Amino acid sequence: MKSAYRLEHVTFAYGDKPALTIDHLSVRAGGITALIGPNGAGKSTLLNLLAFLLCPAAGQMYFFGRPVGRAEVLALRRRVGLVAQNPYLLHGSVIDNVELGLRLRGVGKEQRRRGAMDAMARVGLAGFEKRSVKALSGGEKQRVALARALAPEPEVLLFDEPFTYLDQNNVHLVEQAISSYTRKSGKTVVFSTHEQAQGIALADESISLFAGRPVGAPLVNLFPGTLRNGVFDTGKLAIQVPRAPDRGSYLAIDPEEIVLSPEPLNSGLGNSFRGRIIVIAEEAGRARVTVDIGEKLNARITLESLQNLRLGLGTEVWAGFNATAVKVF
Amino acid sequence: MDYFADSFLAALRLIFQFDPEVYRIVWTSLDISLTATVFAALFAVPAGVWSASVKFAGKRFLRQSLNALMSMPTVMIGLIFYGLFSRRGPLGDFGLLYTPTAVVVGEAVLIFPLIMNLAMTAVESADPRLLPTLRSLGASPVQQFGLVLSETRLGLLVAIAAGFGRAIGEVGTAMMLGGNIHGLTRTMTTAIALETSKGEFELGLALGTMLLLVAFSVNWLLRSVDRGAG
Repeated sequence: MKSAYRLEHVTFAYGDKPALTIDHLSVRAGGITALIGPNGAGKSTLLNLLAFLLCPAAGQMYFFGRPVGRAEVLALRRRVGLVAQNPYLLHGSVIDNVELGLRLRGVGKEQRRRGAMDAMARVGLAGFEKRSVKALSGGEKQRVALARALAPEPEVLLFDEPFTYLDQNNVHLVEQAISSYTRKSGKTVVFSTHEQAQGIALADESISLFAGRPVGAPLVNLFPGTLRNGVFDTGKLAIQVPRAPDRGSYLAIDPEEIVLSPEPLNSGLGNSFRGRIIVIAEEAGRARVTVDIGEKLNARITLESLQNLRLGLGTEVWAGFNATAVKVF
Repeated sequence: MDYFADSFLAALRLIFQFDPEVYRIVWTSLDISLTATVFAALFAVPAGVWSASVKFAGKRFLRQSLNALMSMPTVMIGLIFYGLFSRRGPLGDFGLLYTPTAVVVGEAVLIFPLIMNLAMTAVESADPRLLPTLRSLGASPVQQFGLVLSETRLGLLVAIAAGFGRAIGEVGTAMMLGGNIHGLTRTMTTAIALETSKGEFELGLALGTMLLLVAFSVNWLLRSVDRGAG
């Protein structure tokens, strides 16, 4: 599988505060990748590295297989489009902004106009070209920034927290624009989000970031605690972990690997806790069931299982998971 | 009070009867100050924008020096350039002393730190997302420079206007380097000083009124540019 980016032993720090420590990371070409992590996990910093706006302090980055050198940064930036979380629009009209990337690449007036109009249509902004950016709502501004990044048809589109400030209609439009960009033209899209479900629903693959490091686990059911003799103590729960790692102060449990049952679980599951269902919600076509077992544990099951098990709010259930569903870092 | 009112009426008469002496002096003033402002701005604005956009050692020192130079007494600039331009000075052979060129040079140097400092402030107080946005859109350093100029144009215009205001309102440099020569280097400020000391209070007041009018016009122009930028 071809990778758009490969990062080897890359580190980045703001002053003496480390922001990213990545041993190995690759981003698939021609697909949608979600960067998932809580605030402060290093998602924006990583996107800025991928946009060639920041240079790693150490390590090597590869872009479509070629090592990235400082001398060619401008050419590389022009192959990538970045939409910031809170984008800045230049003074003037919507079309001035959307055309800017093309203008900076020396594209002629007519072709520029065509490219810009096409990009605006793709994000539902047809007819907005003469509007002043000052008169736009937050969601419209976000879409102008997306159109501006899309207009030069970059090989990679990077999008920092696209859904944070958008209402439902805008979320839908932006989701469509992102997926059609990849599906129709085979371009690569990387977007960051702190919402696990959204990341998984839209992306072909996801990378979880925590405290500046990629972690091989979805960041749901994340608990701080201490690890001692193969048992992770969250203060309220003692959880069996696989082949005890040496250290780690966080534990994550994959919600897809959690089994729910109204009966006690006596199979070989290493961890089994009794609790009460406090939330049931539909999330990206599946059911998220939150069980209070001392800590709030989120399980993701099919809607069919939810019905078959006759689970409802307040139902007493057993939640079980194997030690392999647990990741300590 | 009558003295003041009578003088003021006489001054208005000079203005509205288009007294050639008054308008010659106003024109000389505008010519010298505008030329000085254009030359100073040509160097000070790019220097300010560049200094604000990049990190370099000694930036703090530069800023402190500009702050200090902004309040440089005008007679000091006059004195230094008098030394340079006078017959025995290193630039004496050019014969520039008591010419409009000498005043233009002195005033340009006088207002350079002011324009550069305010230009730096304009760029530094621009939105911190501006430069990363331009870079991510693939702007080369030259393109970034042009777009920063355009995005911060209002602040830069204020810087230039402040420079013009200082140039047209100062008297020390114009007096020492221009020599207040009738029809050549007699500016509004040097003429006000001279005419008042001669007892020609009406003419002084007429020129003072014109000076105020110029200041208000610049202010008004900036306000309309501000509205236009909106």
